[in-house]
Amino acid sequence: MAEAAVLAPPRIRPRLSRDEWLMGGGLCVLALYLAITLLVPLVIMLAKSMQDRDGVFVSLANFIKYFTNPALTGAIGHSLWVSALATLIVIALAFGYAYALTRGCIPFKGFFRLVAMAPLLAPSLLSAIALIYLFGNQGALKGWLFGESIYGPIGIVLGSVFWTFPHALIILITALSTADARLYEASESLGASRWRTFATVTLPGARYGLISAIFVVFTLVITDFGVPKVIGGQFNMLATDIYKQVVGQQNFQMGAVVSLILLLPAVVAFFVERWAQSRQSSAVSSRAVPYHPKPRPVRDLALLGLVSLVALVILGILGMAAFASLAKLWPYDLSLTLRHYDFNTADGGSWTAYGNSIEMAFYTAVLGSLVVFSGAYLVEKTRIAKPLRTATHLLALIPMAVPGMVLGLAYIFFFNAPGNPLNFLYGSMAILVLATIAHFYTVSHLTALTALKQLDPEFESVSASLKTPFYRTAWRVTAPMCLPAILDIAIYFFVNAMTTVSAVVFLYSPATTLASVAVLNMDDAGDTAPAAAMAMLIVFTAGAVRLLHAGSSRWLHRRTQAWRGC
Amino acid sequence: MTTPYLRVRNLTKRFGDFTALDDVSIDLYQGEFVCFLGPSGCGKTTLLRAISGLDIQTHGTVEQNGHDISALPPAKRDFGIVFQSYALFQNLTVARNIAYGLENRKQPKEAIRRRVQELLELIGLPDSGNKYPSQLSGGQQQRVALARALAVSPGLLLLDEPLSALDAKVRVYLRDEIKALRRRLGITTIMITHDQEEAISMADRIVVMRAGKIEQIGTPLEIYHQPASLFVAEFIGAMNLLPALLVQQGEIQLGQTRLACTVNGFAPGTAVQAAVRPEDVVCTGRTNGHANSFRAEVRDLEFMGPFFWLSLSGGELGEHRLRAQLPSQRARELDLRPRDSTHLHIPAEHIRLFPEGYSHG
Ligand SMILES: Nc1ncnc2c1ncn2[C@@H]1O[C@H](COP(=O)(O)OP(=O)(O)OP(=O)(O)O)[C@@H](O)[C@H]1O
Ligand SMILES: [Mg+2]
Repeated sequence: MAEAAVLAPPRIRPRLSRDEWLMGGGLCVLALYLAITLLVPLVIMLAKSMQDRDGVFVSLANFIKYFTNPALTGAIGHSLWVSALATLIVIALAFGYAYALTRGCIPFKGFFRLVAMAPLLAPSLLSAIALIYLFGNQGALKGWLFGESIYGPIGIVLGSVFWTFPHALIILITALSTADARLYEASESLGASRWRTFATVTLPGARYGLISAIFVVFTLVITDFGVPKVIGGQFNMLATDIYKQVVGQQNFQMGAVVSLILLLPAVVAFFVERWAQSRQSSAVSSRAVPYHPKPRPVRDLALLGLVSLVALVILGILGMAAFASLAKLWPYDLSLTLRHYDFNTADGGSWTAYGNSIEMAFYTAVLGSLVVFSGAYLVEKTRIAKPLRTATHLLALIPMAVPGMVLGLAYIFFFNAPGNPLNFLYGSMAILVLATIAHFYTVSHLTALTALKQLDPEFESVSASLKTPFYRTAWRVTAPMCLPAILDIAIYFFVNAMTTVSAVVFLYSPATTLASVAVLNMDDAGDTAPAAAMAMLIVFTAGAVRLLHAGSSRWLHRRTQAWRGC
Repeated sequence: MTTPYLRVRNLTKRFGDFTALDDVSIDLYQGEFVCFLGPSGCGKTTLLRAISGLDIQTHGTVEQNGHDISALPPAKRDFGIVFQSYALFQNLTVARNIAYGLENRKQPKEAIRRRVQELLELIGLPDSGNKYPSQLSGGQQQRVALARALAVSPGLLLLDEPLSALDAKVRVYLRDEIKALRRRLGITTIMITHDQEEAISMADRIVVMRAGKIEQIGTPLEIYHQPASLFVAEFIGAMNLLPALLVQQGEIQLGQTRLACTVNGFAPGTAVQAAVRPEDVVCTGRTNGHANSFRAEVRDLEFMGPFFWLSLSGGELGEHRLRAQLPSQRARELDLRPRDSTHLHIPAEHIRLFPEGYSHG
């Protein structure tokens, strides 16, 4: 034994370089940041769900109280079936739409794609407001509902379908456009009928995309608060119940209980979605040959019909909201006016709120892309502290599974605790920015990681051999080469910060009201036309920023053409 | 010789349970050009990364120029490295790529500019400083990567399959370029390759590796003519391997013939493998004036330009098959055709014996 110990050569303990110390330190800072803005608040919320109003531990008493109250538990069923129905409709429509754009031979593909993406620019509230104008008590098309009321599940499903449509579409277009032409040729040469080809090649090829889209949409609908708040009437859902408990009854503990129940389907959806994503990407072989659709008149005409109809509905809803914001006094005086855009007379809205939103979105975009990109860089490139890297990466994935309202409530518990040294943030602009960054962290993080993985992994080795510190190479090579992705992340943060309601509705203060929240409050106060006006303002702003982004991307592409070599 | 410039001692690298390098020791002398040669996955890159500090070994030491650098991070070591992918910074011009390591050393701008120009001329691309890497051909990019690594005048140059991404013609041309450039600079160099021709034509010494271990270290001539193991014998160049029996010291039974050969370390009566290079098989046609000769039948002739591949068996060879390289001019004189019977001669010093049943592949 002793002999063996002597013979075993000493294990080399690598001496850490300055780079590794710095990156390890950076990773610690990032982990701490994510812990503070995400993990700790959520854990505290978990604890709060087991306390009474005075903070005494009561075990599962709150849960028992919740589950013995049929008025509350009814929301679970409501949320589940409404979300399931909305998901079904969205997936069916989006699949047809995506199929038409990727596999059909139809004209104006670019236009149709653009129209389908338009709902991304609007807060989810906008569709609900437009639906009220269309089908509400004084609605233009009220008769279409055969006496049913739009206030309730019908309205929620329709509104949800509108705003989640592009989310499903993006996923399904990706899934369908990765088709391998060789499979289609094989199927055709075997004499398979078109339906058989569809069933044996198209559907299996897109199945992970479908699963992914189903769960993304389901999560979006079940965790959304804007649509049911505006158009849900007496029909209670989990998300609106949290709001009622917290804002209406100041019962934060019960709010935490409902939040945890809402967290459950979101977490399940998250894991299924991650699984489907990993299968989807591994299904694409690098040797796949892109598929080019051939014209088939009957099919193409049917697809064109479907696409036109969906596009028309989308434009109709947006148009309705725009018209509502301009009509003098719906439905009596339809002459156009801009006076609804003067929010002084409306209750709960103001141009200050709009200004705050721009400010908040700007900080979120700048700070968010900085944090996310540096974070992804550290996770990807640090060569030490593997467990910490993995942990940080997992932390970065959590937000996808956390509904905005739940995060907002968790922030109240954490930042508003009297003993918390970060208490000063409560009610400030900063907390809105932190919450929004945390809420939209995952997608940005994954975008940044993807961009970083496309670079040559040996850049850092070369840089170390040339004795250049890592931050210099990151600044001069890595970041410039990832600039398109960084711009994408910034714009994603900006637009979402403009449109989100759920993440910030518990956190704004009178001094920091936001445009999206103003839409909610004005609508709540019965000032529907100004609410529509504010919602349109958000659409215009987000649209303008998107245009700016498209322009700058094009400029960037031209400028960097020389070195991209294409 | 003098003391080695680079001493690698008992290097072992484990990835979990898998041992990628197993007790590897090498000495490199100042100004030497050494090639690591071996099949894919044998640990060449792992060894290079351990030497560079990019992936430090589990056990064992590395000394450079008398200093123990075993545990040092790459930034504290003295080497330049070129990867198979070149890893050129695509968003920087060629000149800025080359200047990259210099700019960090607080040298005056003018000095950097001059050094970059000098290097551009050295690699034969004096006018390409303002181009971007993507505007250059693969071979040119390769040379820029080399210039970038050389710019800071490192004591050791590490090349990981620098030529394998290029097509054959460029490869041969760059081979000579690198050789000449290296000789001019006198820089100690390690190059990884799995192309034996490349290793043989470029290296001062070759390190043949297999499954994390070193099989043989030697000059190209030694590796080629005195392979230390069956693996090396098979891996480098073409080789006939014929089952034979050692009948007495210095004589083997091969088919129905007996051949003299130099033997060491086998007891008479042992079954062995006789290794013979195709070019060492001399075809004498109808005449049989040599010792160590036997008769066999031509099965096939394949014209390769400067020589023929001759496929032989039958006759005294019996079941065994032998491939020989017959110079074209000699083939004309002999006028051989398939099914002809011919005499063959193998000089005793060109027959090497290896133990039978040696697991290879
Ligand atoms: N980071 C790692 N983790 C686990 N195994 C590794 C790792 N890096 C290398 N290996 C394994 O170590 C062995 C040696 O790899 P190495 O890259 O050194 O081979 P190589 O000789 O350079 O091969 P090639 O000619 O293909 O480049 C391989 O079996 C490889 O799978
Ligand atoms: Mg290798």
